[in-house]
This record gives sequence, C-alpha cells and structure tokens, in this order.
Amino acid sequence: MNGPLRRVAVALFVVFMILVLNVTYWQVIAADRLRDDPRNSRVLLTRTGRERGLIISADGEILARSIGDPIDSQRYLRQYPYEGLYAHTVGFSSLLFGGTGIERAFAEELTSGRDLTVAGVINALLGGDVRAQSVQLTLNHQLQTIASEALAGQTGAVVAINPATGEILAMVSTPDFDPNRLIGSGAPQAWSDLQEDPTRPLLSRATGQSYPPGSTFKSIVATAALETGEAGPDTLFPNTRSIDLPNSTATIENFNASLCGAGDQVTLEESFLRSCNTTFALLGMDLGAEAVVDAAQSFGFNRPVPLEIPLLTSAIPPADTFANSLAALAQTSLGERDVQATAFQMALVASAIANDGLLMEPHLLARIFDADSTLESEVEPSVYAQPLGAGTAVVLQQMMERVVTQGTGTRAQIPGVRVAGKTGTSESATGPPHAWFIGFAPVERPMMAIAVVVASGGDIGESATGGSVAAPIARTVIEAWLNIALDPAP
Amino acid sequence: MVLAAAALAAFGVSLVNFADGGGVDAQSALTFLVFSLAFGALLAGMRAWAPSAVPFLIPLAATISAVGFVTVYRLDRELADLQRWWLLLGSGLAVLALYMMRSNGLDPLRRYRYLFLAAAVALLLLPLLPVSGPLPLHGLEVNGSRLWVRFDVGVRIQFQPGEVAKLLLVVFLASFLAERQTALTVSNRHLGPIRLPEPRQLSPVVVAWAASFAVLIYQRDLGASMLLFGVFIVMLYMATNRFTYLTTGLLVFTGGVVLAYTRFAHVQRRVTAWLDPWSDYDDAGYQIAQGMFAMGSGSLSGSGLGLGRPDLIPAAATDFVFAAVAEEMGLAGSIVVIAAYALLVATGFGIALRSRDLFRKLLAAGLTFVLGLQTILILAGVVRIMPVTGITLPFMSYGGSSLLANFLLIALLARVSHEERT
Repeated sequence: MNGPLRRVAVALFVVFMILVLNVTYWQVIAADRLRDDPRNSRVLLTRTGRERGLIISADGEILARSIGDPIDSQRYLRQYPYEGLYAHTVGFSSLLFGGTGIERAFAEELTSGRDLTVAGVINALLGGDVRAQSVQLTLNHQLQTIASEALAGQTGAVVAINPATGEILAMVSTPDFDPNRLIGSGAPQAWSDLQEDPTRPLLSRATGQSYPPGSTFKSIVATAALETGEAGPDTLFPNTRSIDLPNSTATIENFNASLCGAGDQVTLEESFLRSCNTTFALLGMDLGAEAVVDAAQSFGFNRPVPLEIPLLTSAIPPADTFANSLAALAQTSLGERDVQATAFQMALVASAIANDGLLMEPHLLARIFDADSTLESEVEPSVYAQPLGAGTAVVLQQMMERVVTQGTGTRAQIPGVRVAGKTGTSESATGPPHAWFIGFAPVERPMMAIAVVVASGGDIGESATGGSVAAPIARTVIEAWLNIALDPAP
Repeated sequence: MVLAAAALAAFGVSLVNFADGGGVDAQSALTFLVFSLAFGALLAGMRAWAPSAVPFLIPLAATISAVGFVTVYRLDRELADLQRWWLLLGSGLAVLALYMMRSNGLDPLRRYRYLFLAAAVALLLLPLLPVSGPLPLHGLEVNGSRLWVRFDVGVRIQFQPGEVAKLLLVVFLASFLAERQTALTVSNRHLGPIRLPEPRQLSPVVVAWAASFAVLIYQRDLGASMLLFGVFIVMLYMATNRFTYLTTGLLVFTGGVVLAYTRFAHVQRRVTAWLDPWSDYDDAGYQIAQGMFAMGSGSLSGSGLGLGRPDLIPAAATDFVFAAVAEEMGLAGSIVVIAAYALLVATGFGIALRSRDLFRKLLAAGLTFVLGLQTILILAGVVRIMPVTGITLPFMSYGGSSLLANFLLIALLARVSHEERT
C-alpha cells in the first residue's frame, strides 16, 4: 500500500532537488550577469544610499563628498561643492540616472564595503578595511577655475596636460551643469530639463564632441612631411592666393585670399606660421593619403585612447578612401571635410610634440587613499605611443614657437615665456567657424600642453579665428599654470 | 525549538531595524511574544489532544513562518502587523481543531465527506458571486483573478476561499477513495499487455479535469487550477497504485494546457513572460525579471536583512516572497527554506507511511502533497522552471487565508500522526 506513496514522496524530493539546483544556478552561475544587468537598479540604489569616498583635486580641494541625509540618517547624499566646474570630469552618482565620469569609473573604490552581508562581516572581523577609499585626481582646482572663467560663457573646451607625465591638469567643457541638481528631490525634473536643454550642457565638448580641427591639423601634416622627409622647414612652395584642385572644380584659397608673404616662393616654416592653405593642400597631395592618415593615427586618431572616462575617438577616413580623390585629401590636410577631432585629441598632439615625440598615457587619476588617508596606490607615468621622432619634434617645436612670436598665434604670447602653438579656424556646417588653438610652454622645458576649442565663433561670431578667440584663452591658462607651478602655495 | 523560532523571528526583526538605524525595540519584543504565544499554544494544544504526534511539525512550521515573517516585516510594516494577527488566529484555529478532534478523532471527517465536498465546491464558487449586490458577500477581482471574497458585516473581511477549499477536497478525496479503492482498481479490459481502465473508473479523472479547468476559466487562476488537478490525480494514484491514472492525467493535463494556451490571452502572456521575460520587460516579464535580479544580486551570502531592494519586486510579500529571501539571505537562505519545506514534506509522508488504515494514509499523504505541490508550483515559477502561477508560499507569504489553511493542515497532520500511535 505504501508503494505509490513512496514514489510520490521521492518524486517531490527530486523536484525539490531540481529547485535547489535551479536557484543555485541563478544565485551563483548567473549571479554576476544578473547583478550587473543595466536594468537591475539594485547596485546603484544601494551604492548611492551608502557613504562614498572623497574625490579631491591635485591641490587638495574636495570635489565630491558624502554628507548624511538630513531626512534619513542611514543614507548619504552626494555633494559637489564646485557645482558645474567638474560636471564633465568628476561627473555625478545619482540614484535615478546612474553614474558618470570619475564617479562611475571608480565606483568600486569610492563605495563603502561596510554592510551586513556575510562576506562583509567576515571581512570586517578579519580586520579588512571596508571603508570607502578616496580618489585624488590630477586636476588642479585653481587652474580648472581659471580655465572655466577664461571660456566665459562661450561653448567650448579647454584640455591641459602635463606633457612629461600625461597628467590632465585641467579639463573644462562649457556650458556645464550643476550635478547637485540631480541629487534629491526635483532630480527628475532637472534631468529632463538638462536633456532637453538646446545648449546641451550634459555633453562634454572636451571628450564627447568632435569638431573639424582646421589648421591645427597642419601640425600633423607637418609631422608627416618631416618624418617621411618629403619636406623640411626650408622646403619651398609656390606663393599663390589660391590653387585649383585636380579633377575637381573646387579651389583652395588662403585666409582672406591673401598671398603667403612676399616673393614667388615660400618656405614650409613660413607657410606654417602664416597658416597658408595653399602650401598645405599641395603638401598633403605630395605626401599622399597614407602618410597623412598614418601620422594622424599615430597621434591617436581612429584608436581607442585609454582614459578613465568615456572618450570619443577622433576620426580620419582610411587612406584608401582618398585613392581617387586628391581634392578630398587636400581639404582633409587642412583639417576640414571628413576629419573630426576632440579637444582632448588635439591636446594629445600638442603634448607629444612638446615631449620630444613621446606621447604619455593621459590620466585623470593621481592617487587612491584608504579611509585613514594612507596612500593605497599611485599612478605612474607611462609612454602610450611615439608618434614622431625627437628630431622631428624639435623642428616642429621651433616652427610652433614662431607661430606665436611672428605668426597667427601672437595673442598667446606671454612676456618672458617661450610659448609654442598652432591656431585653427574650422568651418562649421551650421554657423560661425570653430576657433582652435593648440600649444605648449615653456618651449625649453614644457610644463603644459593645451588645446582650446571655442565652438561656433564664441562671442565674436563670423569673424572669429583661432588666433583671436582661442589663443588668448590658452595664454591665460598657460600663464596661470606657470604661476601656480612655480609658486605652489596659494 | 519553538522558542528558538520565536527568537529567530525577533532577531530578524531587530536586524531589519538595525539596517534602518534602530535595533532591538518594541517590534522585536512583540514579534517574540506573538511567535511564542502562537506556536506555544499550538504546542500545548498538541500536547493535550494529540500527545503522540511526531514532534517535528510545529517547529518546522514555526521556522518557516519566522523567515517569512521577517521578510514580510522588512517589506511592509503594516502587512507585518496584520500577519501577526493572522499567526495568532491561525494557531488559535488549529488549537480549536485539535480540541474538537480530541474524542472522536478524524472519524467525523470521514463520515461527513459529502458535506465537505459540498462545502469545498461552495467555497470555490464563492468568488464568482456578483461584485456588488444586496448580499453581504461579494466576489472580488484581484490582479485579474476571481479568487477573493469580500464579507461585508460592519467590517470588511476579505479572504481567499480556495485556500480552505483545497483542504476540504483532500479530506473528501481521502475518505471517498479509501472506500472505493477496489472498485477503482479492478479492470478486465486489456489491450495487449496493457490493462485498460473501465470507462467508469476514468470518470474521476474527467471530473477533476473539468473542475480544475472550470476554476481556470471562471476564476482565471492558473495556480489553483494546477494545484487542484495535481491533488486529484496524485491522490487517485496513491489510492489505487494504478499508473494509468497518472498517464491519463498527464495526457488530459497536456491537452488542457494546450487548450488554455491557445484560448486564453492571460495564459499566453504568462507563458511568454516565462520563456523570455526580457521581450516584454516593462510589462508581463517585469516581475520575473525583477525576481531574477533579486536572486542574482543576493548571490551566495545575500545583501543582508534590510539592505537589499526586494521592494523592487512586484508582489514580493506574497507570490515572490522567495525571491525576497533569496536576495537578502542569499543562496544560503534559499537552500535553508527549500530544505525546511522538504523536511516538512518528509515528516508528512512519514506520518502517511506509518498510518495503518487507508483513509488516514491518504489523508496525511494528500495534505502533505497539497503543501508540497503548492510550494513547488510557486517556487518553480520564481526560479523559472515553469510559468508563474500566482499562489502563496505556505507559511511564508503574507496572507490570512493561506496561513489559516496551512495551520489547519498542520493540526490535521498532527492528529493523524497521533491516532496512528495510540
């Protein structure tokens, strides 16, 4: 009589075993996948409620901190004392909208591991430090403030790098937004306001938006010429107001259709400091697509350059797309048409030239401290690439110095300091031109490489040029840095 | 053991408070008191009126209830306040049942079986009463299912009569099958080596199928219908040891499933959500997906009580209470819960196996099976072995009707156990 009962009981136990196996699958094998699923808001919800570590600038200012929630003593609220100044670098950590920037990149380190999980309790009992760590950035607060003020309400970006180490000294994008608005009540409204804002304050013009680099790209074409031996600083080019492009009705003319100095012929160096389009269009066609594209790629174009926060890859079309179109190559050599660069990428170009050809790996993280303020880890400088030889770099440094002393970049001059640079004014499809300046100083021992972009003419509009709009901003930032670096005490 | 379970519940409540910034407080004390009182009274009742019963039933039920209560408390303090009352009421009812069975034992259950059948059918039909009408009794639609009845007598009391009906049906079936065993077993028809059942013998299967399908159609409740059908068929099998009942049962079940799938949109939705919760993540698949997130986030050791976010799971305090446990207590907690149910089922079958007469055997086995199957149906839904059915997890989910019914179930099991040892 008990036979069927036994079989039913056994069947039930088999099913219980299957349940155990299944739940083990979800909680062990599939656990990481489920926990990290972007639709699973748990990690974010628990993290944002917990205490997070400090984010501090290179000069010790607190850029982000956790304060006790006045309503709920067990929860913490994130606070950003400098409001929009670090909106695109430090980013934010929000209950509802996720995390961005450094807050996202170092979420693990910044989050307290103190909780009541078995793992957490055991770790704490064994003396493991479960407190949140603090993150120190390479950004200098004084410099960041000055760079932001220098952009003064214009749309654009400033990226300043220490060329010898790859430390990012300042990175500003305007317009910015106050990440504190995304914490606490009113956050959903603030978020939708920001997303619908036509000035797009959430977008980083330093790392998330590319523009045609205009004549700043000539420094890359010049690199290609010097590296391949196609031309040197004294190589002569015809001095014309404009040239006709082969197999095309298009012409290329100099700025204001002017001549490139006096005489029938002009040197490459002279053309560089005057930013003559005719010379560089001819030079680009002489070099060929491969050399130009290779030079750009060696600086980081078309490559995922490592950075702690998301970085848009700057782009130039592959060489074979120019096979039948010398005209397109000529226009690309002027930094127009299909070439697109972020301000960050152009800062890397300046940095590599300044550092005698060695491009250091760029980074925002300087150090990680544990909760007792003892050093946990430190980022060591490392070489990312060598886009050009040291000899080429020295020649380019001199050519760029002359741009500032005698050429289009005179408004970047600082008395008593040797400044090098290259201006750019690139066409915008929708409005006034974008004003560019890349450069570094002091030439004999560069302490800063910089890229400035001011979108759509800035305050000046149609008449804006890199020399008139971007160069003065670079000047202000470079000068400020030299003062800070030589006299660290504020 | 019972005190340990009460302490467990109180400790759990304190941990939840702690995660919230509090600690041991009046809520912990109250919980300890209620658990001690409820299960202590049940224990005392068993000592008095079923002293020979196996001692494991109540501690197991108390442990499962404690884990469930802590989870409900963690999710919703107001529900926990109610749940405490339900615990007291349920144990009171179980003690009352033990008291009423003190002299005549289970015999009245056997004798008045048709009364139980009628009561069960009436209870199953109750939710179909008009939603509004002059009667004080109304049907109620919750989440698209007609499972609830509202009782308007000054205060409004809502209950799920199906929970009690399933017990009454088991009692009826045990009594009916114990008597008709021979008639249902003997068969002279053969098809080759296979013995065919008499057509008359198949009629109970058809009745079971029709009844559970009716529940599915009119009350739109997948879980209750599968539970009823499973209990019918398995009890038939246990009474007759005829495999045919299982196979034909499985056949008509499959037919019913196919029919239900093709005809009912709400069944289709559940199946689709089960097969691929991501395809309709925002709607039908949301609960399953959140349950999976909860289990995955819980991982081995869990987030800790009060520190996870099981509140993100829809119906976390009822249907998906297991996912909430899995999130906050981790795989360790999940396995303890499943093991506790397995032990309870083992204890129940132990009672059935030791019983001497067929009625008690079938009664104990049927009651245990109904508890086991209900547990499996909802757990299998949560861990995605089958579509979610929307029934409560015995002793763990929030819900008065469910708790009362399961307390009664334990009282009946205890009585069967007692009678077979004296």
